[in-house]
Amino acid sequence: MEYKVEAHRIMSISLGKIYNSRVQRGGIKLHKNLLVSLVLRSARQVYLSDYYSGACLNAQSEREGNEWDITDSEREKFPPSATECDRVESTEETQPNEQPEKEREYRENDDEVKSDQVDCTSTLQEQNQNSSLDSVAKVSSETPPESITEPKESPSDSAVAERDSTPEANGESHQPPKTHVCSNRKRSAEESESGDSPQKRTKVASSNAKEDEEAEEMDTSNVSNLITIFGSSFSGLLSKESAKPEAEAEDSGQICCDQMLKNLNPWSTAIVAF
Amino acid sequence: MAGAGGGGNDVQWCFSQVKGAIDDDVAEADIISTVEFNHSGELLATGDKGGRVVIFQQEIENKSQQQCRSEYNVYSTFQSHEPEFDYLKSLEIEEKINKIRWLPQKNAAQFLLSTNDKTIKLWKISERDKRPEGYNLKEEDGRYRDAATITTLQVPVFRPMDLMVEASPRRVFANGHTYHINSISVNSDNETYLSADDLRINMWHLEITDRSFNIVDIKPANMEELTEVITAAEFHPHQCNTFVYSSSKGTIRLCDMRASALCDKHSKLFEEPEDPSNRSFFSEIISSISDVKFSHNGRYMMTRDYLSVKIWDLNMENRPVETYQVHEYLRSKLCSLYENDCIFDKFECCWNGNDSVVMTGSYNNFFRMLDRSQRRDVTLEASRESCKPRQVLKPRRVCAGGKRKKDEISVDSLDFNKKILHTAWHPQENIIAVATTNNLYIFQEKVN
Repeated sequence: MEYKVEAHRIMSISLGKIYNSRVQRGGIKLHKNLLVSLVLRSARQVYLSDYYSGACLNAQSEREGNEWDITDSEREKFPPSATECDRVESTEETQPNEQPEKEREYRENDDEVKSDQVDCTSTLQEQNQNSSLDSVAKVSSETPPESITEPKESPSDSAVAERDSTPEANGESHQPPKTHVCSNRKRSAEESESGDSPQKRTKVASSNAKEDEEAEEMDTSNVSNLITIFGSSFSGLLSKESAKPEAEAEDSGQICCDQMLKNLNPWSTAIVAF
Repeated sequence: MAGAGGGGNDVQWCFSQVKGAIDDDVAEADIISTVEFNHSGELLATGDKGGRVVIFQQEIENKSQQQCRSEYNVYSTFQSHEPEFDYLKSLEIEEKINKIRWLPQKNAAQFLLSTNDKTIKLWKISERDKRPEGYNLKEEDGRYRDAATITTLQVPVFRPMDLMVEASPRRVFANGHTYHINSISVNSDNETYLSADDLRINMWHLEITDRSFNIVDIKPANMEELTEVITAAEFHPHQCNTFVYSSSKGTIRLCDMRASALCDKHSKLFEEPEDPSNRSFFSEIISSISDVKFSHNGRYMMTRDYLSVKIWDLNMENRPVETYQVHEYLRSKLCSLYENDCIFDKFECCWNGNDSVVMTGSYNNFFRMLDRSQRRDVTLEASRESCKPRQVLKPRRVCAGGKRKKDEISVDSLDFNKKILHTAWHPQENIIAVATTNNLYIFQEKVN
């Protein structure tokens, strides 16, 4: 049990480091972020393996009660991810802009794993619908990523949350969506981890590395996936979006999250307008 | 920590000089980021976070005496790099000097390479101790004289002047790297040098600035598959075709440039299997190599990871020939060190002139001398309290746990903000330069 708490703590610290690195002078340090992502992955493995062995569920699990029917693998993640996300969020209540960053991280991870792509598409389409119901006040630097990263498994929940939310309640209403986002990340981690367990042992496994690199590398394929998803709904944006991956093709590995944020703004504005 | 007597052969180290501001409030620009002796040891260069290079020159008080007390005084100071902005990526490029490497001296002038994250510069440092005087057409201050007033003709002559040391940038090697440059190394052929960033190593010719040759590229086609980065690289001291580079996974690859143009396939891979009993969340971080240095004789190389120094024989790839623990008492504190970012500190290491002793830094302004021949090690401290001239440094001991003996310091009392990352050893004499955060300490062997 202590391992779980410790792993959880290390994960929060790691995420904080990844976020802080984006605002550091001199750009993102690839080496340090790689190491942090390795620690994050190790902690996540321990955290989830603990949960597998039947760690207690917390009150958060009730909120996602209706998801338990979906799949077992998803159920595993929801409580731990909810806890994590809540913890992460609670430490960053005063910094709303940090949340979008993490959201993007998670979302990038999800986009990378093939098994999630179908969900991504369906979710984002649903979320696009939800976004259209959003009040204009939600279109800010904070909300676009959040609206994009809305739940994948519980569209009904998110739709309810969206409609009921007011600009002031943005913080709370986004918590359930974030939970799902976090859990998606974990699920994808689980799926790839189980497939690679023989190789893992002590050294970094390529699949795990892949996932953690997703957390820090904003690269072409990420954006391509998003473009595909958006393109299916908004073909008019395709030409604009395709210009962006070329610009990022020679990305130095330093996360252009701020650039991505700027990229997303016009998209989300278009979504809302749509 | 063991601390038997002095360093090797009972060398006792004593304080010689300290350079830098005394006050505790350290300006970030003054943080020393690299220290390097030149090939003769006469010059000592330091680079700082503000992009400045300060060169000290050894003043030989009495050349006839064998072991005289020599002092290093400021020889030249110049601004090497300025902060820049990459408009395409909206990123600031730090002016911090990551590395300085001296070129072997060929004429009266001295040359060094200094690099920040993106750009390498070749600087010429030359002395001027005479100037021409007695021009016909110009006044002494440079103004031109009215030709009508000139009635006589004289030959300008050189007259002595106060010594002036000039530093001028002779070459700027820019736009060669997408990622942050971590190493530069001058080849033994004195014509080329390499520069390494996180994923690539380039070879440059000292005369050519608009082209470089990529010799190592470990960037995966899909960045999601990135698992390791290059952390340091160095040319072999004698074989101009050989270089090594270390990785964040704790491996060192030796490459031979004769084998192929792109040295992605290593000739040798040096790796020690991990000890499974020491596995933790942070095993990967502490196995990342922060520095690699060839021995002067070219037979060995030394690597520094977070907790240890390893000496490798170039002929044996499967394990190092010697391993020294620098501060093993930190192994139980890795989580705290991760939280305060200390676990990412990149310590350097260096050899002495005859490769018998190696040195590296630690926390609390401690540094470690590891004697290979006598199998002894000692921990010394660079502090203002031991700053009396010729004061002998007392060995320090860290108490890992249990009862703390007198004169020992407990692990929890260590100041992790006082770290010695950069050290340098004079190539011929027992003179060492140790950089604390913003001070440079020079210690010498005690002479009787």
